Amino acid sequence: MADLSLNLAGIKSPNPFWLASAPPTNSGYQVQRAFEAGWGGAVWKTLGEPILNVSSRFAAVDFNGKNVAGFNNIELITDRPLEVNLKEIYETKKKYPNHAIIASLMVEPTQEKWHEIVKKVEDVGVDGLELNFGCPHGMAERGMGAASGQVPELVEKQTMWAKEVAQTPVIVKLTPNITDITFTAEAAVNGGADAVSMINTINSLAGVDLDSWDTVPNVAGKGAHGGYCGPAVKPIALNMVAECARHPKINVPISGMGGVSSWREAVEFMLMGATGVQVCTAAMHHGFSIVEDMIEGLDNYLEDKGMDSVMDIVGKSVEKYSDWGNLDLNHQVVAKINNEVCINCNKCHIACEDTSHQCIDMLKDAEGNDILKVREEDCVGCNLCSIVCPVDGAIDMVEYANGKPPMTWNERQAAIGAASSCDVNLIK
Amino acid sequence: MSDHREFEAEREKIDFLLEKGYVIKGVTENLSGAFLEFEYKGNEHDQPGKERLHILHPDSRKYFSTILVQQQKKQGVK
Repeated sequence: MADLSLNLAGIKSPNPFWLASAPPTNSGYQVQRAFEAGWGGAVWKTLGEPILNVSSRFAAVDFNGKNVAGFNNIELITDRPLEVNLKEIYETKKKYPNHAIIASLMVEPTQEKWHEIVKKVEDVGVDGLELNFGCPHGMAERGMGAASGQVPELVEKQTMWAKEVAQTPVIVKLTPNITDITFTAEAAVNGGADAVSMINTINSLAGVDLDSWDTVPNVAGKGAHGGYCGPAVKPIALNMVAECARHPKINVPISGMGGVSSWREAVEFMLMGATGVQVCTAAMHHGFSIVEDMIEGLDNYLEDKGMDSVMDIVGKSVEKYSDWGNLDLNHQVVAKINNEVCINCNKCHIACEDTSHQCIDMLKDAEGNDILKVREEDCVGCNLCSIVCPVDGAIDMVEYANGKPPMTWNERQAAIGAASSCDVNLIK
Repeated sequence: MSDHREFEAEREKIDFLLEKGYVIKGVTENLSGAFLEFEYKGNEHDQPGKERLHILHPDSRKYFSTILVQQQKKQGVK
């Protein structure tokens, strides 16, 4: 078996799968159940002044028969007194000394409040702290969570205050409800963060009931925006992790989360620069035991790749991610339809004809059978036909060797600028 | 005319001028596409000349700029 153990800014855990700060980590009972099931770490549900919650808190977005494609919640941070949580953290850590327990924290943005909670929480032996600058609902209205996480200066300052007294690594959890997450990530680094984590949930309204016109969820007929997570947000989260991972000034480890449902997404996040992942929605949907498949799948993947340690995959894809202007404009792929596999549903033809570049012809073969054929010279390689095709192997996108040298948009613009400003002797 | 044939027609016009010895002296791009300014310095047999091409097709715009990039690389233009 490969070495799955993780070291994120000094926080060690037996595997890279942590439960995110959320309902699954509300109590010692739950976290201990999670560790028994195999989770490597848990970020305790955010500690702070205990709040009051409403009833009717979660909603899911189903899509085309898939349950919980997205998940929305309006639950706030812990509603239990700090001492109760601290006692359970202490007991859990004592029972599971090799598992990582990270305390998520949220207090009003003052130095005194941060100093107070950091000291109290560290006294019970947590392995690290995660500053919650991300929750988008409820607490944000009170100037905490996403409200302070959207202001780089506040992120930096509060991180600094936590770091002034912290003895354990400080992770700063960032909100995605911002135009460019690298601004706040950099602020966290400037404030002394040992790591950043992302993403917290995205502002959302799960739906509106067509009969009652009530929002989903609603509390006595009234709704408020919640935080969106689950499989639907993975691409957004993955991009934010990648943007931070490739940013030269964000030189701290990243704990990745947002739609991680299996070992596959975990590997994607880690390849894109995350040192381990956090999971919530998938555990809420399927229970703690999903971690067994995650561990097994990750181990098999590493074995297939001939890798000894999960840490070796961290960041392997980061250099493959760049700005659009650095992509090769002359690279070309075209669609190839395998008519032996094709079922002639014509979805590709319709998609191409109606919404893309009109390059899939409906023809007859020598025997008079219906076939579909791509005019390669007109195919722009958009991939749409292969995306809408319901049959595996019926459409392949293949590289088209056009013999052209690579040329990026940035190179092109520089060349045009140079042509206009100097006497270029251009002969073919 | 198919999209590809539009490109081929524009590429032929570019190639024609380049093969006659014209050089691209400038590129102006705007909402209408790209305008290429060609110039021929002439020799003992031919008079100098100027030509202008309006390039519409995206593949043609990739085509002339690929040539431009390659030539500048060869010439060491920074």
